[in-house]
Amino acid sequence: MTKTRHYEGNPQKNSSALGATLAYLGVNGLLALLHGSQGCSSFIRLQLSRHYKEPIPLNSTALLEDSVIFGGWEHLKKGIAVAADKYKPQIIGVMSTGLTETFGDDMVSALSSLRSERPDLNDLPVVLASTPDYIGSMQEGYQRTVEALITTLAGHPTKRFEQDYSEEVPSIALLPGCHLTPGDVDELKEIVMEFGFRPITIPDLSISLDGHAELEAAPVVQGGTLLEDFQRLAKSKACLSFGLSMKDAGEIVKQTYEIPHFNFPSLTGLEVTDTFVLTLAKISGKPIPAKLLRQRSRLLDTLADFHDQLGGLKIAIALEMDLMYSLASCLVEVGADLSVALAASQAGIHKLSLPIPIEVGDLETLEERAGQSTLIIANSNGRQAAGLLKIPHLRAGLPVFDRVGYPQKCWISYEGTQQFLFDTLNAVG
Amino acid sequence: MFTNLTKLDLKDKQCMSDAGAPKLCMKALPGEGAERSCAYDGARVVLMPITDVAHLVHGPIACAGNSWDNRGARSSGSQLYRRGLTTDIMENDVIYGGEIKLKESILEIAARHEPKAIFVYATCVSSLIGDDVDKVCREAEAELTIPVIAVNCPGFLGDKNIGNRIAGEVLFERVIGTGDGPDEKIPLSINLIGEYNIAGDLWGVIPDLKNLGITLQTAITGDAKFDDLRSAHRASLNVLICSKSLTNLVRKMEICYGIPFIEGSFYGIHDTSETLIHIAKALNDLDLLERTLVYVQKREDETRKTIAGYRKLLENKQAILFTGGVKTWSMVSTLAELGINILAGGTQNSTPEDFHRMKELMDPSAQIIEDTSSAGFLKIIAEKKPDLIVAGGKTKYLAHKTRTPFLDINHGRKLPYAGYQGMVTFAETLTRTVLSPVWGLLKQEFPPKEGEQDD
Repeated sequence: MTKTRHYEGNPQKNSSALGATLAYLGVNGLLALLHGSQGCSSFIRLQLSRHYKEPIPLNSTALLEDSVIFGGWEHLKKGIAVAADKYKPQIIGVMSTGLTETFGDDMVSALSSLRSERPDLNDLPVVLASTPDYIGSMQEGYQRTVEALITTLAGHPTKRFEQDYSEEVPSIALLPGCHLTPGDVDELKEIVMEFGFRPITIPDLSISLDGHAELEAAPVVQGGTLLEDFQRLAKSKACLSFGLSMKDAGEIVKQTYEIPHFNFPSLTGLEVTDTFVLTLAKISGKPIPAKLLRQRSRLLDTLADFHDQLGGLKIAIALEMDLMYSLASCLVEVGADLSVALAASQAGIHKLSLPIPIEVGDLETLEERAGQSTLIIANSNGRQAAGLLKIPHLRAGLPVFDRVGYPQKCWISYEGTQQFLFDTLNAVG
Repeated sequence: MFTNLTKLDLKDKQCMSDAGAPKLCMKALPGEGAERSCAYDGARVVLMPITDVAHLVHGPIACAGNSWDNRGARSSGSQLYRRGLTTDIMENDVIYGGEIKLKESILEIAARHEPKAIFVYATCVSSLIGDDVDKVCREAEAELTIPVIAVNCPGFLGDKNIGNRIAGEVLFERVIGTGDGPDEKIPLSINLIGEYNIAGDLWGVIPDLKNLGITLQTAITGDAKFDDLRSAHRASLNVLICSKSLTNLVRKMEICYGIPFIEGSFYGIHDTSETLIHIAKALNDLDLLERTLVYVQKREDETRKTIAGYRKLLENKQAILFTGGVKTWSMVSTLAELGINILAGGTQNSTPEDFHRMKELMDPSAQIIEDTSSAGFLKIIAEKKPDLIVAGGKTKYLAHKTRTPFLDINHGRKLPYAGYQGMVTFAETLTRTVLSPVWGLLKQEFPPKEGEQDD
């Protein structure tokens, strides 16, 4: 469909630098440094913090007028050095912004120039992710950053200890996309552990942004993937990536370490979970745990009990692509109709399909098109459209700030799918 | 038209050497983690509460997408101001320029949303690629019947304070005094400058003004309608609420329209009364002054009576205060009213005057928070072990990890704290926070240490 208007009204899109921040927040001991003006980092902190109800450590190179004239190259060097000296992080994760990408700061040369001036920083891993705000959305920023994390850190020699992980417990690499909540990632890890694997999760929001009470006042990430975990990737039995946006990252792992890679565009729904569980059974050579079969059986019963209500739903959905596809395809699987499906950005919209065309659109488009629907699924900002149209609104995605507990929600696997269907039906009332 | 920064009365300020003083003329260092914001943010804070206009952000998604509809400024009428509108600059616009897209957007928004005016915000990227926002606005305005107002506030110009001032300039140049209506002064009328109706703060003050016979011409810009703002020059007095961020505006209004200004605050009983009395004095009406003196005494007595129970519960509690702007000093006396002692205080985004005023009001033994980053703030909490923390929302979730009662007094809050009524709400909320049973649960050792199980 051709775009009929030039502005974005009530955007559902978050910036790619926000996605980068999210990915960095799942890596332990990392200091996230945004190369841009102070507002960029301030807005990201605020947006993530009202979603997760957590403090968001995010530093910035604080660019001002003079750096716009002379370039921010020196500022970036200084920012890395100051952050390294002041906060002593294990890793520094840098992401660029529209501002710095427009004047074309070369982050790679800035880093190598800094390293030659400060050889003492040679051992400090620095990840560089290019995330201009004018390209893509949260999902793309997250994707680029996960790829940068893997390529930079997996090859980084661990200086401190070459710990030899005894491999009586085989490990498996998990690459969750940004559509999965800390609660989802938690469940993902549980499931692979049921099959006897030790999960290496990159990034691991389930132990950093899960909202737990023990946390120090620190400008670096606490919890999340350990630096050592990146080196352990080589010994993983397989790599599983979740969300189409994570496929490329999974392919990098596959090619680097010559291990099999499986991508799961969605884990919400019966058949997609079946595929996932069967894959795990095959890789592990173990039978499907009774617990999972029991959960599957409960889901089947739920489908039977509520098939009529589910079949009567007419859903208008607007989310970042991976999450939109996951939730929408699950609802289609159980007989619901879709009235409009709007992705936040172009990424992946031609690779996945739903019974209706997937379009890129904002929440003003949703408002114009959702009139005949029985339910709106969108982030909290969809409240204006839902309010005007007087249609129930199930919160999903990011930000969700006016309903409690979203980051802890689990909508994947058999049990999570059941919960998602319950939440959907309860939202309709 | 790029705002000349020297005009904004920033560069003539002396740097303050006091530890913990707001670093007005000091640049934030890259990597130091100052957690401040940008000029665009400052401009939107001032202008975006104007309710019946469209606010169009000419920038990539990071500027509007991460921030629209995220402040608690409330409206009694139009909800148009809450709509997130942006040109969403994409890669092709960076290459080919975004002026055409901007103009089309303005025209489309005018047709779709029928705003009273459109404010167009320039951002870092739009400025860098050389889009002439002023020109585009002029062109679009020529095709429309409403004002299209450029706000040149790219983030890289500086921090929030600069953005506030730019917004003040825009209001003065393009809004105030531009209406078709009469120009003569309205007797006993005021503008409340820097009052953004966060959580409905303004509505807690209006009844008292009404009871005294004072007309509120408009707030700048809480719950403001564009036409009322255009007639803001008809007020007899400007009352500057949010300290100095809009001083340039009131100074210019004084010179151009002969409107004197005073400063005030509606946080806390003492400051509310003082402000009302100052307004009455400045309006130069003896009858009003007499009425006001009687009225504030009555309201003070009523309010003190209502909060007496809360005061009893809060008395001698030890607090840490960390905020910005007018709240810096106003909160000191508000907490004192409830018998709360301040162990340490800190400020961000305040002016030197605010800072000094806070310092003077606090007990000399109170510590000034020097490191205003989250880490520094938390360090003070660990050292001082306060009974409660009163601060802005951005430190809220970190403060909760210290298992200390925390009250958010910034723009993220849900309840109004201004005026006498607001004081009651404040006391009530603070008591609920401090006395909540959850803090006790949070501090319990688990599993219990050996030997304590049977206690």
